[in-house]
Amino acid sequence: MFGSIFSAGLIMPRVGPPLTPDAPALHITDEAAITPAHGEELRVDSLVGDGDSVAQGQPLLRLRAMPDMYLTAPMAGRVAKIELRPGHRLSQMMLFHEAGGDRYAYDVSQAGHDTDELRRVLQMSGLWRMLRSRPFGHVPKPGAIPAAIFVMATDSRPDAPDPLPRLASREEEFSRGLDALARLTEARIFLCEAEASSYTGALPGGVTRIRTGKVHPNGLSGLMIHRHMPARVEAPVWDIHAKDVADIGSFLETGYVPATRVVSISGDALREAKLVQCQPGADLRGLSQSLLRPGPHAVLSGSFLDGRPAHWLSHRDRQVTVLTRDTSTKNRHWFNEALDHVSRRAPIIPTAALDLAFGRALPSAALIRILASGDVEGFTRLGGLSLLEEDVALADYATGASPRLMTQLRALLDRIEEEEGVA
Amino acid sequence: MRRGMWDREMVAALLLLALMPMVLTWLWFGGLDAIGRLSLTLIISGVWHMVFMLARAQSPSLAGVLSAIAVAMIAPEDLGLIRLALGVSFGTVMAELVFGGWGRNVLNPATVTIAFLGFGFPAAPWPDFVAPVFWAALPALAIGALFGILSMRVIIAAFAVLGIAYSGGDPAISAILPAAVLVLALLVTDPVAGASTSLGRWLYGAVYGGFVVLFAHEWQGAAPVQMTVSAAFLASLFAPLFDEAALALWVRQRRKRHG
Repeated sequence: MFGSIFSAGLIMPRVGPPLTPDAPALHITDEAAITPAHGEELRVDSLVGDGDSVAQGQPLLRLRAMPDMYLTAPMAGRVAKIELRPGHRLSQMMLFHEAGGDRYAYDVSQAGHDTDELRRVLQMSGLWRMLRSRPFGHVPKPGAIPAAIFVMATDSRPDAPDPLPRLASREEEFSRGLDALARLTEARIFLCEAEASSYTGALPGGVTRIRTGKVHPNGLSGLMIHRHMPARVEAPVWDIHAKDVADIGSFLETGYVPATRVVSISGDALREAKLVQCQPGADLRGLSQSLLRPGPHAVLSGSFLDGRPAHWLSHRDRQVTVLTRDTSTKNRHWFNEALDHVSRRAPIIPTAALDLAFGRALPSAALIRILASGDVEGFTRLGGLSLLEEDVALADYATGASPRLMTQLRALLDRIEEEEGVA
Repeated sequence: MRRGMWDREMVAALLLLALMPMVLTWLWFGGLDAIGRLSLTLIISGVWHMVFMLARAQSPSLAGVLSAIAVAMIAPEDLGLIRLALGVSFGTVMAELVFGGWGRNVLNPATVTIAFLGFGFPAAPWPDFVAPVFWAALPALAIGALFGILSMRVIIAAFAVLGIAYSGGDPAISAILPAAVLVLALLVTDPVAGASTSLGRWLYGAVYGGFVVLFAHEWQGAAPVQMTVSAAFLASLFAPLFDEAALALWVRQRRKRHG
């Protein structure tokens, strides 16, 4: 707590056992699913039926609004069931793993020269979906042109897997991936790395390196974008994790969609916390089962700051958090209960903790007030369009705000999106 | 999805903790008289918090205790029960509770109460303190700043201005300095009513120091506490302006850098 005074970030108490430093073991769960990200609406056409055998990386679902964009199989296996809500909206598509299944090979021979072809294969292979566009945090549209791309070779969230050790062994692929990003658009590319450890491999020209602090929230893409290249509606900024850039590199080399990602499993309901290599959309219970301590618990996809209760590893998430669930019924006085029910929530007092929760990057007290009042103009003025839920998660945690800042931010972003008519 | 600790009541409790050395010293040297005054302000402010809880469903806050302490310590003396009750009621209700409770108020309720009593009953004498109470204001500031609930910037800026004036060797400044530090700890550093931007906090602290120096020079026949409370009151009226200016400047700089 006191260390926070000396660095522009918050040092948080540990939740659960520390991560074991072993190299991540391969752990492909028996089930996996393709699900939309939180708040994302995917209207899809299915290219396969229940019970069909699929190869890893094979396109399974096509977006109705953008027929070039596909969702691909996270592993070789059999389609268990496809759950759609009315209007062909994807709820989830579940698959069973089958050992020794095939990998789907894409033809990437043309992607080396032709930019349109590069876009097409990325969208077809589902790798395009690893890009995230701000403002609003959606997957970029097929033809979208960003003002900048931020490649995050750091993640300061508590217990997040450090991308650098994995990157060091994939320098060539990473460099090829960066090259592909540079060919994709004219946009400036920023490579964000933590202070202590840095990537030594070759970088294509036109890539700007940014040093971030190690203490959370300094390793968040939102704060970096806010500081170096604020996103605007007419000039969106994309961000992508460095590992996904390396994946793009290896995909363009081999034609195979990389099958695994490194995920950390941590939390106070576990006997030990560790890194594993699993498929995208992995079954979180399957991943954490062997590590659990007895007792009630909740499984989140994401860190304990910004994670959400989930069954499957969410799109883009690299953390699983298993927290103990408090099931004791509090014996509260009926009057306090009633008072809590009807009173307005206590406001947030501006303290140093709040400033540090935003890494001193912006006037935090003013931003909190603007979020609470839903002031679109003030929000835009303070550079709020560069922010997403994960960027206010730490302030949410520190202040115990109610209603949650993440909810307030999303509501405001949704309103701006509607007003701008981007949706 | 764990929640942290810096909610409103935690901040109020830590502020209370920070003030404890000073309050206990004051009670020790003030004796029964001080205890009586503190009980009175606590009861009146408590009653109003109760009323607003029952009538408006506003959860009472520990911050009410903070204002009660500040009023008991530095409000004019010999007012009698009715006047003191009137002053505390005015300050608690009009400066804090009608806005929705602590955290939504614009001015510090204790500052408003004391200014109200000071202007309303100018004949009442202002309190004086023994030296240990003044000294105990320093640990209060230090504890508050360490926990990050009092702004280091406000404290440093105020001390810098006062220090510069003090090094000029003016006897009027050295006479007012202890009271200035006491009021800084009790009223000026309030995280809610003070400025909330970085630049705003520097300006706010400096302006408080500036008003103290100005009054020490130009205000004849006023008690040190009276002058410093007036300085705190005026400075807190400027705080939103400083914040607004700091925000406008910040936005302009960003626009220049990013287009």
